[in-house]
Amino acid sequence: MKPRLAFFDFTGCEGCQLEVINFEQELLDILSAADIVNFREAMTERSDDYDIAFIDGAITTERDVARIKEIRERAKILVAIGACACIGGVNCLKNFYPMEEVLRIVYGESAHYYDTIPARPVDAVVPVEYYVQGCPMTQSEFVKVVKALLAGKKPEIPNYPVCVECKMAGNICVFEKGETCVGPVTRAGCNALCVTNGRICWGCRGLVDDPNTDSEKEILAKYNLTPEEIIAKFRMFLGYSEVAK
Amino acid sequence: MKYEVITKEDFPSFVNGLLSEIEVVGVKMKEGKFHYDKIKSYDELCLDYDVTLIPPKKYLLPPKETLLKFSLGGAIQVEPSIDATPRVILGVHPYDIKAIELMDAVFSDSNPDANYMERRRNTVIVGVDCRNPSPNAFCPSMGTDTTETGFDLLLTDIGEQYVVAIGSEKGEELLKKHARTREATEADLAQRKAAQEEALAKYKLSIKAAVEEIPELLEKNYDHPLWEELAAKCLSCGSCTMVCPTCVCFDVQDDLELNLTAGERFRQWDSCMLQGFAKVATGENFREDCTSRLRHRYFRKGNYMLKRYGKLGCVGCGRCIGACLAEIANPVEAYNRLKEGS
Ligand code: SF4
Ligand code: SF4
Ligand code: SF4
Ligand code: SF4
Ligand code: SF4
Repeated sequence: MKPRLAFFDFTGCEGCQLEVINFEQELLDILSAADIVNFREAMTERSDDYDIAFIDGAITTERDVARIKEIRERAKILVAIGACACIGGVNCLKNFYPMEEVLRIVYGESAHYYDTIPARPVDAVVPVEYYVQGCPMTQSEFVKVVKALLAGKKPEIPNYPVCVECKMAGNICVFEKGETCVGPVTRAGCNALCVTNGRICWGCRGLVDDPNTDSEKEILAKYNLTPEEIIAKFRMFLGYSEVAK
Repeated sequence: MKYEVITKEDFPSFVNGLLSEIEVVGVKMKEGKFHYDKIKSYDELCLDYDVTLIPPKKYLLPPKETLLKFSLGGAIQVEPSIDATPRVILGVHPYDIKAIELMDAVFSDSNPDANYMERRRNTVIVGVDCRNPSPNAFCPSMGTDTTETGFDLLLTDIGEQYVVAIGSEKGEELLKKHARTREATEADLAQRKAAQEEALAKYKLSIKAAVEEIPELLEKNYDHPLWEELAAKCLSCGSCTMVCPTCVCFDVQDDLELNLTAGERFRQWDSCMLQGFAKVATGENFREDCTSRLRHRYFRKGNYMLKRYGKLGCVGCGRCIGACLAEIANPVEAYNRLKEGS
């Protein structure tokens, strides 16, 4: 029997779900190997009977907590897709303010109708089997994870910094151009997308397993960033991790 | 060795002649730095540069390459894949030529690497002596500021003309076919020597130990606190090895298509500085801690390669020095500290 896939969105921009819909050939290939039974962005049908649940978005309310637990119970395999779901992502920027203030800023007068809790990645609430990192999620990695799931293998996800891919692409390091980035502690897998396209790495793919963040901070300081600027750099995507505290 | 002379006026037509029959890659400017890229005409070419971002190894061992294609549906089919486009690499500095000699030794050893060997056979190396070395280079310490071997042709700028050392028949043929040259005189060769010596005086870094001493120096200091001290700052980012012309490690992976019946096997650059490099299928990691990885790199360059291939694994290009943000990949500093015994 074909495996049944379901997609669920939590707090995020839905960019990751769009990335899934944006697949052309690959989506058809996936559909021939699996059934998609739940995907709010793309279809009206809903089913609560699924094997693999793909989650995008961060957990930011008590309702989210209850809902993700329910999905976890139904799914055999849970895959977090995108920075919000995998590492908390930009949502965690709010964690550095009191929650009442956050509500007031966003909802003003109607703040009391809403609840909010500090944003967290999916695995802060329930166990996650696989991750497709990136903001938006890296498409090629999504395909890689799906293939591995279908073949019953472990996907090969890089556990080395973006610098590796930067060098493979022949990029000039941004540190040599008067800029700075957190690529040396960020998990590769995007082919150094941003640097290759003339920007800097903000760490959207999360940290490598054993990052030397102390050394990275020392380097940023050596390149004249103030302690506040250094923290701000890490808070962009990595607000949930120790390094941004 | 035979030497010819070509005027700078005649040189462009030599390059354009090459371009008429074969792919030519050469050094180009890129935002104030230099890199190897395909050239379409002589005008794009830069022959007076310090060092390129990535060494010419990328043409012999591409960052990523398909090794074979397979299909599993029904009868299993496997088809090797070798991209060995004939090409000239133009403007290779002597230290990079020395590094290619080392790659040749590695890839032709015991079980020759088919993809590398075929590409190598189809590659013509036209070198050029370096006039203005990078501030991080220490070639004289490694004996790589110039070379007598490893090239098809080697140019030395002597002002209005280049002296061309002929390193192979293939090189000689190409020169004859596409360039107007004359035989070099004693005076030309004296000028060549003077030009090489002038460049030699411009190197800023040097190792305080003789090349022959380095292997033992390392062996004696296997447990030196230096390794741990440097490793504390190491990002395990692999930059020092990716840019190194003598680093040749790769990782092999299979990529299955979504239909799960066809796919390809590819390889891509790997590095002993990365956390997972020495991890084996059973989950053990032979160099789990950063200190052992960092020490391994120094030992590979300064000891292991010499023992196995009779050549030191470092050609003094200094790329690692420039690439390491943590400033700990510097062979000159490391060897000098060990030599001073501090
Ligand atoms: S990871 Fe980025 S693209 Fe995906 S939902 Fe979050 S904000 Fe949007
Ligand atoms: S630009 Fe960033 S990711 Fe790329 S090599 Fe430099 S530090 Fe590493
Ligand atoms: S370069 Fe950095 S910020 Fe850009 S996609 Fe890759 S990990 Fe994300
Ligand atoms: S170790 Fe450093 S200096 Fe030596 S060849 Fe490699 S990059 Fe060049
Ligand atoms: S020595 Fe430097 S360049 Fe090499 S892995 Fe460590 S931090 Fe990166």
